Amino acid sequence: MTQTFAVTLTIPDNEAFTAFETLARLGIPVARVVRADIWLFVVDAPAGDLTATISSIETIHNPNKHRLLARDSDRPAPGEVWIASRDEARVTLVGGRAIPGVRAIRRRTAWRLLDDSGRDIAPADLERAVETFLCNPAFQVAITA
Amino acid sequence: MTGTVAVLVFPGTNSEDETLRAVRAVGLEGELVHWSQPEKLARFDAYILPGGFAYEDRIRAGAVAAHDALMDPVIEAAQAGKYVLGICNGAQILAEAGLVPGTGPLRRPTAAFAPNASGRFQSVHVHVRLAVDPGRVPILAGIEPGAVIPAWASHGDGRLAAPEAELARIERDGHLAFVYCDRDGNPVAAPNGSALSCAGLVNAEGNVLAVMPHPERDAWTFQHLDATRDAVRGNTEETLAPSGGIVFFEAFARAVLAEAIA
Repeated sequence: MTQTFAVTLTIPDNEAFTAFETLARLGIPVARVVRADIWLFVVDAPAGDLTATISSIETIHNPNKHRLLARDSDRPAPGEVWIASRDEARVTLVGGRAIPGVRAIRRRTAWRLLDDSGRDIAPADLERAVETFLCNPAFQVAITA
Repeated sequence: MTGTVAVLVFPGTNSEDETLRAVRAVGLEGELVHWSQPEKLARFDAYILPGGFAYEDRIRAGAVAAHDALMDPVIEAAQAGKYVLGICNGAQILAEAGLVPGTGPLRRPTAAFAPNASGRFQSVHVHVRLAVDPGRVPILAGIEPGAVIPAWASHGDGRLAAPEAELARIERDGHLAFVYCDRDGNPVAAPNGSALSCAGLVNAEGNVLAVMPHPERDAWTFQHLDATRDAVRGNTEETLAPSGGIVFFEAFARAVLAEAIA
């Protein structure tokens, strides 16, 4: 089974702002960009203390600037797109150390594009954002809900 | 008559000075052009995108710069047949801009210099072998076919990645400009896991070239891998002699000057 976590910045997200500026230049009707690092942990059994374990690994979560949130699903939420590498290597270590009970670790970048009402932009606009900028199909894949 | 070369500087570019020095050393008139000055670009004969981390490699290496306003006149110039050279981060930008291999629409990349197979930034001295017919690529004309050039590979995202069909097209249609090799030109595995052992790509017209390793960082003896050994041997007077990678810039200069005169 997989346990999923989203890590967001509590300080200004410069990468999201840069993405916003480029998307606006491309004519995507976006008012705000929200980005999150998604960590998928493949585990043998539900690991009750996994949240506590990974919240102490600064490679994943630095409490001075990150917020860690457990997700219910290993799929994107509606309106969200995840970008993944097509040929990601099997990773079992993070920050040079293994996590007990974790067989594999996968990473995604989650993007959510909002309009000036705070709603998700239209699916066609999100698709255009993905095709023109957020995903390089030569080595990445976009995953939607 | 001198050829004029713009060396582009994005926020995060860090190899502009050594690139400019190599450009001037081979007789070209070089000038740094910053990201806020796209209007200056049209008057140049050729363009170099140097190494670094444009826009901190945010989103993907080269992706933001490829969509920057500074790239609009460069893309226009490339389409008009002017010479465009990208080194390291510049190569990543050219791939994201769709200028190399140039097999798809502009700014819709068909290939990428993706994260190294090791998952780490790597800095290692390498040799690359000319893998394309230099007669087809004016920027490389004058370099012996199969010539070996020393350089420093210094990147976290230098692995050529593309779908199998695109890799086959890159190989079949002569887009593979340089491959990693040993000092004698024998094939070696790419240090970054690059497909086809690719160290550089060129477009079909031969006027846009992207190379991942840095020839400008092995252009003088003091930069060479053996510099320390040479210094110990008392050859310090030789340390400023042109060496290795300068061959690359000499070929670039010949092409630019020939075009400027024409």
